[in-house]
Formats: sequence, structure tokens, C-alpha cells
Amino acid sequence: MNTPVVRVVDLWKEYRENGQAVTQALRGANLEVAPGEVVALFGKSGSGKTTLLNLLAGLDRPTRGTVEINGRCLEQLGEAGRTELRRSRLGFIFQFFNLLPTLTAYENVFLALELAGRIQPQAARDALERVGLKGKEHRYPHELSGGEQQRVAVARAIVKEPSLILADEPTGNLDTATGDQILQLITERCRQGGTSLLMVTHTPLACRYADRILKMVDGVVTEDEKCR
Amino acid sequence: MRPWIAALLVTLLSSFPCPEAPAQETWKQAVGPWSWSFPRDHGAHPEFRTEWWYFTGNLRDAAGNRYGYQLTFFRQGVRLRASDPRNPWSLRDLYPAHFAITDARTGAFRYAEQISRAGPGLAGAAKGGLNVWNLGWSAKMEGSLIRIRAQHGGMGLELELVPRKPLVLHGDRGLSRKGPGRGQASYYYSLTDLATKGTIRTPGGGAPVSVEGASWLDREFSSNALTKDQEGWDWFSIRLSDGRELMLYFLRKKDGTVEQESSGTLVEADGRSLGLKTGEIGVEVLATWTSQRSGGRYPGRWRIRVPAAGIDLTIAPLVAEQELITEGSTGVTYWEGAVDGRGASAGSPVTCEGYVEMTGYAGSLGGQF
Amino acid sequence: MRTVTRSFLRHLYRRRSLSLLQLLGIACGVAAVVGMALSARSALSSFSQAVEFLRGKSTHTLERLAGPMDESILRQLAADPAVVSFAPVLERRLKLGNGDLVRLLGIDPFLDRAIRPELSRVPFERRTSRSFEDSIAFLTDERAVLIEAGLARTLGLATGGSVPTLKGPLRVVGSFANPSGEPLILMDIAHTQKLLGLGGRIDHVDLILDDEGGFASRWREGYRIQSKRQRQDTFGAMVGAFRLNLEALSLMALFVSVFLIYNTAMFAVVSRRRDAGILRSLGASRAEVAGAFLTEIALFGTLGGLAGSLFGFLLSRALTEVIGGTISSLYFFLRTAPMPWSWWVPAAGVAVGLGASLLGSLYPLVELTRTDPAVTLRGRSGSRGNRRRAWIVALAGAGCLIASILLLAFFSKRVYAAFIGVFGFLFGLSLLTGVIMVLAEPLLGRVLASFGGLPGRIAAGNIIRNLGRTGVAVAAFMMALSLSIGLGSMIGSFRQSLIWWMGTQLRGDLYVSNASDMEVPEGFYEEIRGIPGVGGVDTYRKAQVTYRGRAIHVAAIQAGVLQRFARFGWVEGGDGHWEAVKRGDVIVSESFARSFGASPGGVVTLEGAKGPVDLRIEGVFYDYSTEHGLVMMDRATYIALYGDRTINSIAVFIDPSEPRKRRILDDIRARAAARGLPVSTREQFHRNILEVFDSTFAVTRSMRIMAIVIAFFGITGALLTLFIERRRDFGILRALGFSTGQVARMTLLEALGMGIVSFALSSGVGTVLAVLLIRVINLRSFNWTVFYFPDWQPYAVTAATALAASLGAALYPIWKVHRTYPQMQIREE
Repeated sequence: MNTPVVRVVDLWKEYRENGQAVTQALRGANLEVAPGEVVALFGKSGSGKTTLLNLLAGLDRPTRGTVEINGRCLEQLGEAGRTELRRSRLGFIFQFFNLLPTLTAYENVFLALELAGRIQPQAARDALERVGLKGKEHRYPHELSGGEQQRVAVARAIVKEPSLILADEPTGNLDTATGDQILQLITERCRQGGTSLLMVTHTPLACRYADRILKMVDGVVTEDEKCR
Repeated sequence: MRPWIAALLVTLLSSFPCPEAPAQETWKQAVGPWSWSFPRDHGAHPEFRTEWWYFTGNLRDAAGNRYGYQLTFFRQGVRLRASDPRNPWSLRDLYPAHFAITDARTGAFRYAEQISRAGPGLAGAAKGGLNVWNLGWSAKMEGSLIRIRAQHGGMGLELELVPRKPLVLHGDRGLSRKGPGRGQASYYYSLTDLATKGTIRTPGGGAPVSVEGASWLDREFSSNALTKDQEGWDWFSIRLSDGRELMLYFLRKKDGTVEQESSGTLVEADGRSLGLKTGEIGVEVLATWTSQRSGGRYPGRWRIRVPAAGIDLTIAPLVAEQELITEGSTGVTYWEGAVDGRGASAGSPVTCEGYVEMTGYAGSLGGQF
Repeated sequence: MRTVTRSFLRHLYRRRSLSLLQLLGIACGVAAVVGMALSARSALSSFSQAVEFLRGKSTHTLERLAGPMDESILRQLAADPAVVSFAPVLERRLKLGNGDLVRLLGIDPFLDRAIRPELSRVPFERRTSRSFEDSIAFLTDERAVLIEAGLARTLGLATGGSVPTLKGPLRVVGSFANPSGEPLILMDIAHTQKLLGLGGRIDHVDLILDDEGGFASRWREGYRIQSKRQRQDTFGAMVGAFRLNLEALSLMALFVSVFLIYNTAMFAVVSRRRDAGILRSLGASRAEVAGAFLTEIALFGTLGGLAGSLFGFLLSRALTEVIGGTISSLYFFLRTAPMPWSWWVPAAGVAVGLGASLLGSLYPLVELTRTDPAVTLRGRSGSRGNRRRAWIVALAGAGCLIASILLLAFFSKRVYAAFIGVFGFLFGLSLLTGVIMVLAEPLLGRVLASFGGLPGRIAAGNIIRNLGRTGVAVAAFMMALSLSIGLGSMIGSFRQSLIWWMGTQLRGDLYVSNASDMEVPEGFYEEIRGIPGVGGVDTYRKAQVTYRGRAIHVAAIQAGVLQRFARFGWVEGGDGHWEAVKRGDVIVSESFARSFGASPGGVVTLEGAKGPVDLRIEGVFYDYSTEHGLVMMDRATYIALYGDRTINSIAVFIDPSEPRKRRILDDIRARAAARGLPVSTREQFHRNILEVFDSTFAVTRSMRIMAIVIAFFGITGALLTLFIERRRDFGILRALGFSTGQVARMTLLEALGMGIVSFALSSGVGTVLAVLLIRVINLRSFNWTVFYFPDWQPYAVTAATALAASLGAALYPIWKVHRTYPQMQIREE
């Protein structure tokens, strides 16, 4: 259990247009997340937080540097390996929920299981129950409130019992009370399942739930002892 | 003896419910004696509605294989005068023709039919002498020699016919009655024994084969011969090995009886002829044959007796299948075929050959169309 | 079903108005192809069936090299050992009282039995309760005819009725069903000869031969023997250009349709980028996402294909009529039977729909699976890279253009290569659309801003920002509009060229008879020539002959008369050619010169009645009367060559200075009427030709309409997709304080902007297309030069269409905005 769930070494990401680097989103970021650890990552808009999450998920490719998830280097995993990793080891929670609008709450959750190769309808129902959506399984996203939609997203992330959940401003689109409930829900579920959580956020509420606070400034991650 | 042709051509032209409906124009009727004159009467008689030149014959090649042939030229008047006599297409007469060859060795029987109007020299019958033609088929008398020729597909014939006996006038000096009414008769004569020489080609037989034998020419013209209650008839032309010839015809009525006006003619070896009445002739059907194509059930073997002449013959077809279905010309289905047989004539055993025609066995005559 | 797939398919239902539109788009495209191809096939096959039906069971046809023949040859045919059956035929057109031309067949029903059993039996069909005279009336009544049942119905005729014709009334003694469906009048050969004044003559003899070689050796000189096979070849050559025209139109339909379907499929893919991103972040593999897309698109393609083949089948029924009308006016045949329903129709429809959909989704799909999901997750595709992509696409377009130009330059002799070249050229141009739009953005912004202020400028920006989508929509729309302009300009130029040509060749004051198989008695010609005050009479005789194995036409004229009165358009040289023509040289049409590589000074060898004759070519003239080639010679030369004295029509010229002109013309008119000959003035004659021309291009005009319909669906679908995708933008706009009216105006302007760009592009591309159609396609397939006459009309029509289509396409989105705008929020779902 000594292997960190996330290990990022000297990660660079440049966005290019017409062959010229126009934005340097990451400039040698380093980061480690231990198993079961809940980490909050603060930073100003445009500091490279979302880019880092995308790189961790293997959704984007770094310009330079390495990302290891569970001790395995993402670059070396290849596309199939990264897809497999996302399926079984990673959960995602977004600011804009990113539920599939054409699927019901239950189906959105079940989809994650199905992609991980686990055909377990009951697990999907249980996950929804655990996020407090019992009875709303068959509603479509547009029939749910923002908080409820994010709960579906949480259920979708935890249902496959991943080793890491990446959350991108999970409360950004919610009022404070709902945001607090959601944060509580996420951290609680992660602690219960021994899942690590890396949460990009603006809200000071997060300090209450995080084991460790990190800060991102100009594409570099630094430790931050105190919460603002 | 083919009085049916008149009715059938009318059938052809329209399906005319009543063949004897009065014609607007008047054709000459066969009543009273005809003043015969030859070669003039070998030629056409356009004042009569119906006329034909009917050649049949039994032939042999050098190897002894036997053949039969039939070549018939009809003339059927449609109107007494063409509407535009200067235009050869303008219709006055129609000329159907039938041609058949029987190959006894292979059992093959093939026939062809044609019909044409006069047109620009396409078909016709000359007046004044025997000269008829129909789209390449022809019969023409030169002196005492008759040349006949016909060709269709693979089959053909080119024959020279020379009479060995004087012609025979049937019935009452050539007036042959077909029914009890006035005009229900035809003028009818035959050349019963024509020495025949030439070549024939049978379908599938390839090259022309030289043949010899004897032919029979039936000539008849009339305007209105058939009655409504007659269903069909049987006609026999038989040459006996003792030099005699026998012509018989029976008109069968729809009620199953035989028309009393039916008759026959016996020709002696020296050419003298003798009329026969219905009562003097006995015909017994010994077997029947059913056509696969038309479904008609025809007599297939006969015993023919003329007690007054000491004739008792049993005859049978050379080939059972000699049926003609002539939808393309006269519209009639009939059986016309070469026959042979044996028996006694004037107390002596004889063999015989000839042709038999049977009509009205495959449906009624008016029902062909 | 996998949940991934389910999520995609549910999309179709959720956005059903868009789905329906997309489905309609595919269906329209498929319908155009199926309709066009099916009707082309059915028209041509019923035409060839009718031709075959007329020839019946004959194995060969015998005719004179030119003109009718004497019927006395029938006797020789009867005696010929190779002839199994023969049937003489007189085959002419007869003008009915109502002006229709109908085929008149003069036959001998007896000789015809072996050749055309169905037809020859008709005169003898059982008809009850008729007198004997009635029953043989066909053979005995000089004016008796049998008419085809359909024609009888059209004319409201029953047995015993009377058909008024230019040659007097004809008595109907019965009707018959023609299995080929062509209207026919059947007459006994004797009466036909009399009716047409052709005593003793026949047009051709249909034969059944069993020894072709033997027969040919006996009938070599002075006759043309055509086997069934050769006849079919001749027929094929005759309708070849027409068939090609139809095939080209089918191809164009396919081209535009594929574009539309491509457009539709691409929108389906593009509008689902975000969903794809989510799925990928959840761990769905590229193959799974692509598979789900493909399932959706395949379903679309299949359903659209099925619906389209049904529409297409219905469309073909209407188009078959149109094409039938064209065939009738070109080759004289009436009434085409539409193809019966077959399961091949939906099969083909699905193939087209599916194929085009998959093709259309290929590129966006590849692009989608290749991009990082993070990019797609950002929601709408950003404007970043749009311009660069537009340049890449334009580069491909330029490549395509160059390849097409090379193809046109080096392989243009082959018609199909020319077609491919033209299509490639169009396609290449369509790929340039994006770049042109990028370059034109400032201008467009200014134009739209002048219409609608700020919303207008936003609209222009939106068009460019969503170039991935708007570009294809504009390209498809532009293509359809170009087709409309190109076809319209081509037809217009052709029509103008034809009018010019008529003015050069057909300058007579009066024309007596003008159908090629009608006859003017020679005596009538002499009579007219003798009328004092008549300046000149040209006799025209046109006959089809064989030259180097191909059917061409030979025309006989009075060189002296034309020298004085006509002003031929010479490809080379001038009116001095007539002197040589009078001496026995010939002039040839441009189509002849091009097809056979003939040029002035060369020799054309024609098979004459007495063997081959060499004729010197004196000049080449422009001609649109036949694409098969025309050799024109003086009447004296013609008679010496073929021994045919037939005159099809005469043109009367009167000196302009002649004071009694009107009286003389009236006199000629009266004399012609007395002989039952049709007379027309120059104006009427020209109008008739233009009518034939117009009906010839009726199909092409239908094609134009189809292109517009397709374009309409294309642009509507594109706009709708854009608006559905941009609902969040609407939320922002609302937040900024835009009123519903302003958003509606913006929507409208966006549509208008796309319409304007499409039209502006299509004016250029359409003009190029018109020139290509005229200079390449027409020249290759017909071998004649059509002069390009610029005309504003196609552009005006197209502009109006573009305006109407783009405004019409904006209606639904505007309605949608009005209905839902108040509830729109700045949120995704």
C-alpha cells in the first residue's frame, strides 16, 4: 500500500496553434496522492487545474513528464490501457455533471458498470440509494435538480469502486448548501470505500473535508498548509 | 371431299355464329350438271366461293422406306369483287395451304400451313388450267405433267405427277351431294392414279431423297356445301394392288347418324368408275387413337367392305400421329394421314395404300377459335 | 442492447424534430436517385419493348438503303429458300385531328401471323353479333382501322366510331390491347397504301430467316439487312445520347444526394461530440463510441433509404411520364409504362442511403475518435482550428480540381471520363467553400450588420465560428444551386443556339409537311414550283443509312434554292460551298465531322443502290437536327445514289419584294389542304421545334426542381442542428438582454447569410458548370457546339430559390426560439 495512487513528475502541457505554443497550462507540476487520501486542489481560473485532471484521467496527453496511476505510467499503457484504467480504476465528477441526457439516472450509473464489464443492476441501484436518490432512478437528467444531477454523477463515480475519483469543481454549479451536501457525500463515500479523491475546487468548504490542501499557481502545484 | 373448308374460313375471318348466313353477294351454287372441259376446269372457278386442289400420295425411296405426303391449295372467296381491283392487296380471295410429310420409317409426321391473299403475286390460282401457288408452294400442269413443290423449314418436296388413268367425276357426273338441300353439293372430280417421281426432304432427314410412288388429286368447288347439323366426316382414298381405287366419304351428323347423301366411287383398273351409295358400303372401326395434343379421339383402324365389288379390306395408319392443328390458316384440327392395309378384292388377296381424312373429332368445327 | 448504443438511439427520439428532418433529408436524397434511375430505366425499357414488340418474332429486317421499296420483291422473298416467314410493313406517323401524331402500322394480317401473332390476330378476334361484312371490315373497308385500347379511351372512341385525321376520318372497327403500351393504329396494308398514296410500295419487310448467310448473298446490292442484334445496336446507338443524358442526371441526383446525406450524417456526428467525450471519460473505448455512432447512422441510413425508395418509387411514376414525353418527341413513341414495384427498389434505396450515410460520417467520425476527449468535453467545438482545417480541406479541394482538370484535358474524348471530370471539378470547388467563407467573413459581417445591426454581426460570426457545420451546409446548398444555374444556363444557351440555327437553315416562308416519315408527292412539288411568284422551292428528304456500321442521316435538298435563300452557319467556309454541292459534292454536319473525323476535302463513302459511291466533302455546317451525323447533298446526287424520289417536306421561298406574297401563300395552303398535307408557316415550324426542344429538357428541368428540394432540406437540417446546439448561447444572449425578436432576427440573418454565401458561390460555380456542360459534355455526347449565351434568368431563379430556402429553413428554429426562449438558461441540460 506504499505505492501512491497518483504520482506526477515534472508534468508540462502546452497548447499549440499553428505550430506555436500559445498557452503553457502546466509547467513542471509534481504531485502524489496516497491511497484513501482526500486532496483538495485550489487555484485561480486558468491556473491549469482542469488540464491536470484531464492528464491524470488520460483524457489528454502531456507535452512532457510522466503520470503514474497505481504505479503504472499512463504513457506506457497506451490508448487501450488508459481506456481500461478509466473503466475500472477511475471515477469522474464534473462541474456540469456531464450526464448523458438520453439516459435515466439509473442508466447513467449502470453505464459506468457496464463499461467496466460488470453487469450488476443491483450495484447501480444501491449506489443511487447511497447518494439518496432512491425512487428517482428512472428520471432523466433534465427532470432532476442540479444537486440531484450531481448526486447521480457521484453515484456513477463510486459505483465501480475506483481507486481514484477525480472531481472537477463538483460544487461549482450548485448553491452553497447543496454543495456542502455533495462534498460531504463524496468524501464520505471515498473514505468508506478507501478511494482516493483529487478534487479541484474554489470553495473554502472543501477544506473541511480534505486531508491535504494543494494549491496550483501558474502551472505548478504547491503544498498549502492552511485553508484560505 | 372437304366441304368444311368453307365454313372454316368464315370462322377464320370472324367468329361468325351462323356459317350459312346469307351472303350479300351471290356465289354460284353447285346445282345441276356441270359442263366439264379440261384443262379449263383444272383452273380456278372464282364464281364459286370455295375451291381446292388436294394432293396426297404414298411414296417409297430406293431402300424401300415409305413416305406419305399431303399438299393442299385452297381458295376461299371473300367477296365477289375486290373493292379496288387495281391494288393487288385488295381482298377478294384468301388462299390457305397445308403441307405435310409422313416418314413411316422414323414415325415422324410434320406439317406446315400458310395463308395469304393474292397480293403482289404471293398466292393465286390461274383460270384455264392447273396453276396454283401460295408463298413459294405451287402446283402447275405442263401438258399432262403436274409439277408440285413445297418447302418449309427442313422439309420439302419436288414431285412430277403423271396421270395413268382418266379423271373420275364423282356423284352425278361430277355433282357430289353433301346434304339434302339445294346447293348443298359440290363439283368434284379426282385424278386417282398419278405416277409420281421426284425428291422429298423430311425434317431432320437432311439431304433430299429420291422417291417414287402414286398420288391422288382431289378437285372440288362449291359455294355452300355444309349443313348445320353435320359434325364432321371421314374420307378414304385407297389404291388397291389389283389396280382398282376406292373413294368413300361419310358425313357424320350431330345425332350420330350418317348423312344419307354420303357416297363413294370405285375406279376399275381400266379407268371405268362406278358410283357407290351409302348402303353399298360398310365401314367398321376396329380401334381408336387419342391425340395428346388436341384430345381428339379418332378411329385408328378400319374394316371396309363393298360387297358388290367383292372388296373387304382392313386398313390402318402408317403412323398414328398424323393430326394437323391449323390455327394459322384454316383454324381446323383434323387428321389426314397415309394408311395401308390388306384384304380381298374381287375374291383375290390384295394389299392397299392411300390416305384417310377425319374431321370433327377434336371439338366441333366452329369451335376452333 | 448496450447502454452506450441505447443512449445514442434515444437521442433520435429526444430530438425528434431534428431526427425527422435528417431522415427526410436522407429520404429526399435517396428518392432523387431512385426516382431518376428508375424512371430512366422504365422509360428506356418500355421504349425498347415497344420497338421490339413492333418487330415481333422477326429475326431480320429488309429495307432499301433509303426510301420505301417496291412490293414486287415480296414474290422473290416468297421463293427464297432462306425465308421462313416474311411480312411487309408500312410504318408511318399519322396526324390525328387533335394534332397528336400516332404510329400507323399498315400490315397484312395473314403474312403477319408468323411475325406478330398478337397483332395479326386482332382483326379476327371474336366479336359477337356482327354481320359477316362487319367481321371482315378490316380487310374490306378502305377506312377501317383497329386502334390501341388506351388510345381509344383517350379519344373516347368505341367500335363504330370515327377517328379524325389529317388524311380524313378513319372508321374504328375494333380496339386491341398493346402489351407494350404504345398507342397504335393498325390498318390493312392495302388501305394504308391508298391512304398514304403509296400504291405498290412498302417500307420494310420483317423476316424470319433460317440461313442468314445465304440470304445476305442474294440480297446484298441495294438493300439493308438488319439482324435483330444489329437492330438492337442501332436502337442503342439511337437513344445512346439520350440514355447518357438520363444517366448523367441520375448521377447528378446521386451526387447532390450523397452530399445531402453526408451533410446530414456529419451533423449527427458533430452534434454528439460532447456525449462522446463523456463516454470516453467514463472509459468507453473509441471503438465503442464509434460503434454506437455507426449504429445510429446505419439506422438513419436504412430508415431514410427505405422511406426514400418509397418516395423515389412514387416520384418515378411522375418522372416516367416526363421522360416518356421526351422520348416521344425525340424518337416518336408514346406512353411509357412505369416500372412495377420490386424489392430491388428498397434494396437499392437502402444501399444508397446507408452507403452515403456511412461515407458522410466517415470523416467526422475519424476526427471525433482522434481528438482527445478533453477537447470534446469542453462542449461545443471551439473556433480554434476551424480556419486551419478550412485551409486543409481547401488544399484537398484544389487537388481534386487539378485532377479533374487533368482528366478533362486528357481523357475528355470519353464521355464518362468527362462526366467524372465535371463531378470532380464540382466536388473540388465545394471543398473550397470553407476557405472562401473564412475569407469573406468581414464582408459578410458588414452585409449582415447592415441588415440587422449587432445581431447581424453576431450572425456572421456564428456562421464562421461553426464553419465545420455551416461550411458543409453551404457547400451542399451551393452545389444544388450551382446545378440549378448550370443546367438552366446550359438549356438556355442551347435554346438560343437552336433559335440561331433555325434562323440559318429554316428560312422558308411556308413548310408543307415536316415530319420525316411523311411524304409530299413529287407532282405537288412540281405544281408549287410552277406557281408564278414563287421564288424557290426546297425539297427535303431525310433518310437513315448506315455508315461505318453506325446509323447516320442523309438529307437531300435543292442546293440552288438554298444557295439563294438560306444562310447556313458554316463551321468552315461560307456560302460559296453551294456551287460544289450543286456539282455533286456533299456537306456534312458538325456532329458528322466530329464523330467520324471528317473534314472538307475528305471523302465519305456511302453504300448506294448500285454499290459504294465516294462523295467529296465540301463543307461542314452547324446542325442540331441529329446528333448521329448528317450528310447533306443535292437532290439530284441523292436520287442518283439511292434511286429514291421521296420528298418528306418542302419549303417554299418567296422573294421579299414579291407584292402578291400573301395571296401566293394562301394559294399554296389551299392546294396542300386539298391533298391532306399539313402546312405550317416558318414561325409555326420554329415553334414546333422549340416545343420539341423544351419537352426534351423537361426531365432536366425536373432535375433542377429536385436539386432545389434537396438543397432546401440540406440547409434546413444544418440550421436546425446549429440552433439546437446553441441553445446555451441563447441563454447567454437572454442574460445579456437580447429580446426574442432580436434572437429571431439573428437566426434569420444567419440563415440569410448562408443563403447569400451559397448563392454568391453558386453563381460562379454554376457558370463554370454551364460552360463545362456546354463545352465538354454536350460536345462529347452530341458532337455539336452549343454557343454560350449568358442569361440572367437562371441566376434570378436561383437567387429567389436561395432566398426562399434559407428563409424557409429559418422558420422552424425561429418558432422554436419563440416558444422556448423565455425558459432558456445558461446551463447545459
